[in-house]
Amino acid sequence: MEERVLEILEEHCEEAIDYDGDSMMEDGVIDSFTVINVVSDLEDEFDIEIDAKYVIAENFRNKEAIIDLVKRLLEE
Amino acid sequence: MAFQKVVIIGYGKVTGDILIYVKARQKDYGCQLEFIEHEIHPFSITEKICSENEIPFVRIEDKRELAAYLHKIREKTLLISASNNFLFPKSLVEKENVTIINFHNALLPAYPGRNAPSWVIFMGEKETGITWHYVTAGIDEGNIIIQRTCAIGEDVKAYELTEQLMTLAYEAFKACFDMVMEERAEAREQGFEPGRRMYRSYEVPSDGVFDLTEDTAQIYRLLRSVDYGKAGIFPVLRTKIDGQAAQILRYRKVPAAKQPAISDGGNETEGFIYLPLGEDSMLKLKYRKME
Repeated sequence: MEERVLEILEEHCEEAIDYDGDSMMEDGVIDSFTVINVVSDLEDEFDIEIDAKYVIAENFRNKEAIIDLVKRLLEE
Repeated sequence: MAFQKVVIIGYGKVTGDILIYVKARQKDYGCQLEFIEHEIHPFSITEKICSENEIPFVRIEDKRELAAYLHKIREKTLLISASNNFLFPKSLVEKENVTIINFHNALLPAYPGRNAPSWVIFMGEKETGITWHYVTAGIDEGNIIIQRTCAIGEDVKAYELTEQLMTLAYEAFKACFDMVMEERAEAREQGFEPGRRMYRSYEVPSDGVFDLTEDTAQIYRLLRSVDYGKAGIFPVLRTKIDGQAAQILRYRKVPAAKQPAISDGGNETEGFIYLPLGEDSMLKLKYRKME
């Protein structure tokens, strides 16, 4: 699962893969349009619904946070 | 007399780009610069940009407070409305010391009002663009300063077109900034017919409903026209499946070969439907039946 999340992230934003900080949005690594694309592909790939309440900067602060989000949603 | 102050109001990528640009050009005009955040968005980085560039940042969410704040401006001021939904009151627009320019995400006089990228996709337009115009008391009625056009891709979604238009708006802004600051922009009248269609914020393409028997290309346009990711700008689209109301959770254009042998791979309440879309493609819809 993690590998596929990273592939999707890389597809839309290569820089996000090497980013080791704690706020990809504020650091200008990804923007809101990239988040929309990533969310759309994650939903399709894992057949999950990522509700708007989860689409917040905290859950997209780095690649680990995105993987955690997908894990949580798959466990629901 | 030159502008003594520039006030920027808006949100999103274009606002951030304009903030940085105007800050870099501020020394050329010796004016004050200020940013007002009126609409709060979860991924906004304008506050950070202001902090890093030492631009005064003011947050005013209440419409009346904002109007009152702007009314107090005494200096000769250029107000830049970039991706902003606040409607400037007539009394402010008519203040002699305030000039307002606005970015509209369509080619005025066509598609005035809200959510223009959605309407151009829904209507099947092949081309759209952006307009920077002076603000008057009427919505999107002011004289045109500059326009830029772009093609509408056959698979483009509303949020993708919005992003494309923001990039275009920033390029056009840079092209006309000096003319506006030096008050030598040759703005032209829109010349629209009285009673032209105005698109309101509460309007939804096709009223948010479609029938599975409709032309699939039109259904696909509708789906793309309301697609702003999770921004919740429009309600979830609805249709009827087996006579029961259903929400469309997701959609995707897929190669025809990807169609499974059983078109509905779901349970009683959720599943997928595949509709033919042209010769080589299918429109894959994930639905959830409503109680």
